[in-house]
Amino acid sequence: MTFSGEFLAFMGLALVAIIGGVLLLNLTKVVHMVVALIFTFVAIAGIYVLLSAEFVAAVQILIYSGAITIIMLFGIMLTKHDDESEPKTGKWRKLLVFLGIAGFAFAVYIGIYNFNIVQVPTTLHENNTMQIGKALYSKYIIPFELTSALLLVALVGSIILAKNEKKEGDSE
Amino acid sequence: MSSVPASAFLALALILFCIGLYGALTKRNTVIVLISIELMLNAVNINLVTFSKYGLNPSITGQIFALFTISVAAAEAAVGLAILISLYRAKKTVNIDEMDIMKH
Amino acid sequence: MGLSTKTGRCQALLGFDKIRVVPGTARRGIVIMMENAWLIPLFPLLSFLILLLFGKRLKEASAYVGILFTLASLVYSILVLFERFSEPTYGTNFEWLTIGDIHLTAGFEVNQLNALMLVIVSLVSFLVHTYSKGYMNGDERFPVFYAYLGLFTFAMLGLVISPNLLQTYIFWELVGVGSFLLIGFYFYKEEAKAAAKKAFIMTRIGDVGLFIGMILLFWQTKSFEYSEIFKAVDAGAVSGTMITLTAILIFIGAVGKSGQFPLHTWLPDAMEGPTPVSALIHAATMVAAGVYLVAALFPLFQASKTALLTIAVIGAFTAIFAASIGLVQTDIKRVLAYSTVSQLGYMMLALGSAGYVAGVFHLMTHAFFKALLFLAAGSVIHAVHTQNIEEMGGLWKKLKFTGPLFLIGTLSISGVPLFSGFFSKDEILAAAWEGGHPILFFLALIAAFMTAFYMFRLFFMVFTGKPRTEMKNVHESPANMTYPMMLLGVLAIVAGYVNTPWFGSFLGDWLVDGNPRLGHAHVEGPIWIMIAATVVSLLGIFMAYLMYYKRSLARNWLSGTGDTLHTILTNKYYVDEFYQLTVIAFTKGLSYFLRFIDVFLVEGLVKGVVGIVQGLGRTGSRMQSGQVQTYGAVAFIGLALLAVIYALTGGYLR
Repeated sequence: MTFSGEFLAFMGLALVAIIGGVLLLNLTKVVHMVVALIFTFVAIAGIYVLLSAEFVAAVQILIYSGAITIIMLFGIMLTKHDDESEPKTGKWRKLLVFLGIAGFAFAVYIGIYNFNIVQVPTTLHENNTMQIGKALYSKYIIPFELTSALLLVALVGSIILAKNEKKEGDSE
Repeated sequence: MSSVPASAFLALALILFCIGLYGALTKRNTVIVLISIELMLNAVNINLVTFSKYGLNPSITGQIFALFTISVAAAEAAVGLAILISLYRAKKTVNIDEMDIMKH
Repeated sequence: MGLSTKTGRCQALLGFDKIRVVPGTARRGIVIMMENAWLIPLFPLLSFLILLLFGKRLKEASAYVGILFTLASLVYSILVLFERFSEPTYGTNFEWLTIGDIHLTAGFEVNQLNALMLVIVSLVSFLVHTYSKGYMNGDERFPVFYAYLGLFTFAMLGLVISPNLLQTYIFWELVGVGSFLLIGFYFYKEEAKAAAKKAFIMTRIGDVGLFIGMILLFWQTKSFEYSEIFKAVDAGAVSGTMITLTAILIFIGAVGKSGQFPLHTWLPDAMEGPTPVSALIHAATMVAAGVYLVAALFPLFQASKTALLTIAVIGAFTAIFAASIGLVQTDIKRVLAYSTVSQLGYMMLALGSAGYVAGVFHLMTHAFFKALLFLAAGSVIHAVHTQNIEEMGGLWKKLKFTGPLFLIGTLSISGVPLFSGFFSKDEILAAAWEGGHPILFFLALIAAFMTAFYMFRLFFMVFTGKPRTEMKNVHESPANMTYPMMLLGVLAIVAGYVNTPWFGSFLGDWLVDGNPRLGHAHVEGPIWIMIAATVVSLLGIFMAYLMYYKRSLARNWLSGTGDTLHTILTNKYYVDEFYQLTVIAFTKGLSYFLRFIDVFLVEGLVKGVVGIVQGLGRTGSRMQSGQVQTYGAVAFIGLALLAVIYALTGGYLR
């Protein structure tokens, strides 16, 4: 293992992502958590770049760091976000969940540790976006269209969900 | 050839997944729980993209799949938040402990 | 085992397959009556069923139903008896159950003893039915009473024509049920309830003995049938020890039913039942069932000297024991009850001394005069509404019929010459003497003296002297009560003449006819026995006369009220108290111990299970909080556990 630029970049990005995650868990203010998560999302986008997936990285930044984070922030703003005196989760449950996750991580890590596949040269980094476009519009056209339908349904659904209560509130 | 082994990416994904899981299972604020779930989805995306490059048969499919995941996750976030907001209107709280109507 | 080969192995499955003829006697003529003797018990059963269904509607008319049906039984029984005089024993069986090689049969048999018993039972039952019409008049549960009487009569008649032990046992228990129901007829009275329970439980103790004996016999002889058992015993197929054991066990059943010594205490208490019931069940029929059982199985008992001796000793002891208690009792029915126990002891003594005829003879005469005494006592009670003889007196003039009839009964039981009791008692004494039990003979003689004394004490206190309390509205009982008594009075006098040393022993000859196993028809005792018996009975009467009529002898001449002896006798030798302190205390202790086990162990287990389940349920419902996050956490922890196990073991449990 050499300390190549790629390696350094990976280490840095991974560090940022993990720190973001840890901050998400440990910060007290809800807004700060979301901000900490933006770092993670961006770092993950960088990881995608390292993995020759520029287009996915771009989408990641657009959707996650942009759209989803903003939605979440809206959600936080619309609800009681400054409620810091919320009751803590039971210590026993936290411990149990932590132990469970540790065990799970251990089990999966054994799998990862034994992961040993010879790397095959790829051409993913050449015209990455074009490759994706070609695949999406030829091989994956039906899932792609279905996704658009899903997004539409989600859009309509969320509007109705958010509006419905208001109507009832009005009628009452 | 990359100097970073595939298992490093996978380990990173695992760590992020575990953080997300822990947050989803222990956090009180429903918004944070939703965000934690997004984090878990992201960890999965890292896996997909990693295998798309370092898998036994590297191909673009992994990235495509990651894209689908992202779009579904976006839809999920929107619907989840809509539900959250309507719940909040009804119960005036986002504390997950108080959302126990499933009991009845 | 050629012995147990049944003549009718190849019979049809159902239906009368086998006609057994006692060996040595040819089958003559047609036996229409005996062929249909099985009808006899069915009449009272029919009466029982009719009254059970329509009793409420029939009300007082239900008496006529009962009377009519028992009359039918009586007539039929008498016809059967007369036919039996000229015809041999008739018996028939049909296959009831076949289990492997074992064939259980059911059927009936009319031998001498059975025919005689049929008449005694149906006669007394008929008279009691008639008598009850007057005695129970106005009772709310009048039809029920008659229904119970029908049930009892059915069971008793069924018992006496059973040809095998199993059938006997079934009817034996049915008789017990009838007795239980009738003793507890006044169930709203605590004493009656307690007495009914006591009677049921005490007789049940005996029944266990009978049951064990029965099963042992079955085990040994592969048959319940009397004839098969006797054949096996004769052939020596059963070891001597086993015969003794089974005989004594069966005798224990008889002890319970006939109120013999250790299990006698229920009989006096059973007097809580209506008086006609006492006359029917606790004087004439059911208590005699024990004697009947011993008589029916007599060849078995005869095969074991030990068993016979046991019977004789217990009989003699009971006779004198009960008689001594009878001396001081003040309840008219209890005096009679103890006298019954004592007389049953006599019968047992007779059977135990190999005096089969004497025992059966006394059984018959006793049935008549004791039923008479009870019915007369009932008539007295009916007139004065009390049972305490201290409160009676001078009733002779007021009760024109009852008084003389009671006197006849008293004379008969006391063994005054020319009355039936004299002959039968004489037979027993002779049998005891000839049987080689001089001690038992003298005990019986003393008991005879006591019997005469307490019976006349009873008579003098009730019927002579001045009324000791003011008694209003004393009137003679109605005709349907006095007529049965008169008939019994006649029988109490003449029944003895069927078997006398002077005019010939018809009964004895007939009873043992064709059955050499049963012993001699008549035991010829020395003449002084008869004289001694007469003397002691007259002496007893004379003493009672002096003490209770002339009053020339103070009542506390021998032992006054408050004396140790008197106290002991009044308290019936403290047998009840003894049982209370020993058996019942032990049983109670055991019950408490078992209850302890039940409460703490069984219930603890149950409660433990319930607690665990409830705890699980409560935890489960608390887990069911509706919080998705918790569910997720639990589900995930489970998944994680599986994952860890998978990672550690590689999917295989090694």
